Amino acid sequence: MKITQFQLDALREIGNIGSAHAATALSTLLQRRIDMSVPEVWAVRFEELSAIVGQLDDPQAVIYVKVEGDAPGKAVFFFPVESAEIVVQLLFGTNEPMDLYMGEMAQSALKEVGNILVSSFIMALTQFSGIPLQPSVPALAVDMIGASLDAIFLEEGVLDDTVLFIDTQLTGIPKIEGQFIFLPEEGSLKKLLGAMGV
Amino acid sequence: MNDVITVGMADFKTAVAPILLLTAGLGSCIGICVHDPLLKVGGMAHIMLPTANGSLGGNPAKYADTALELLVRDIMSMGASKSRLRAKMAGGAQMFSFPGKPPVLKIGDRNAEAVEQELKRHGIPLLVADVGGSFGRTIHFNVGTGDLHIRTINHGEKVV
Repeated sequence: MKITQFQLDALREIGNIGSAHAATALSTLLQRRIDMSVPEVWAVRFEELSAIVGQLDDPQAVIYVKVEGDAPGKAVFFFPVESAEIVVQLLFGTNEPMDLYMGEMAQSALKEVGNILVSSFIMALTQFSGIPLQPSVPALAVDMIGASLDAIFLEEGVLDDTVLFIDTQLTGIPKIEGQFIFLPEEGSLKKLLGAMGV
Repeated sequence: MNDVITVGMADFKTAVAPILLLTAGLGSCIGICVHDPLLKVGGMAHIMLPTANGSLGGNPAKYADTALELLVRDIMSMGASKSRLRAKMAGGAQMFSFPGKPPVLKIGDRNAEAVEQELKRHGIPLLVADVGGSFGRTIHFNVGTGDLHIRTINHGEKVV
């Protein structure tokens, strides 16, 4: 499907509304101010992903939620382990080091963060487009960012030459940074754009 | 210090010893390493999917079958003998699992199977297959010695 500039703007708007809700949810959860970048819409070759995520073997916490319903897609929230650890410490009100790799408590807290972020993104999307969408339970990987993302993008065993996704940076004090991406399936994109009359 | 050439996703490179080939952050993707130990030349491909079947055009280095074809062709054009070629591979992990939902297509496993099959078709022995698990891998391949160095974040580090 060919994407026009007008449709790109519409997608950016979807990203704006959804991400603003997600950032607010994170801010409420952590009781910290969270800032959000203007979402970018990428239509890139998957091979060029490293340009967007940086070092492919950088350790990051990745929360992956499938979006089910009439316009399915994938939502992914990822942040460097240092940020993830701060988030978990804030949630538990502690300064103790957290074991993100093995610790069950830390891991379920991270999943919950992802759940809240993604649910608020999806709710905004549903309200905006009128298309019913539901999030799956979240899955978590704390590992090399490239490894986690290739598994998400390639899950169905097919890959279009270009992948399209909405990308928003979230930053908070102290030292929290994260990135949220939403990947609509090809048919979903048409529906979402159609619901918005573009 | 050896020079290092980085192989990106859906990319392949060849090199002459003592250069190292590196690919970072393999998840369900696979790094295929092939070398000629006598001539000390070799190459690495970072494949993403099993087969180019049915996809028109696109990048041949993305698929196990077409990438290996290109890799072997280029290594041979450096003077290597096909009968001396040896292979190692790493990657093919299953990074995520959803409770109660068995994955329909384990793409990492399918990638590993495809590489194995293609190597067999070319008659290239597969000496090491460090595949599967649920963790990412970064690999360095020494085209001279054939040493494959595998680094993970929380599952150790080894040379095979």
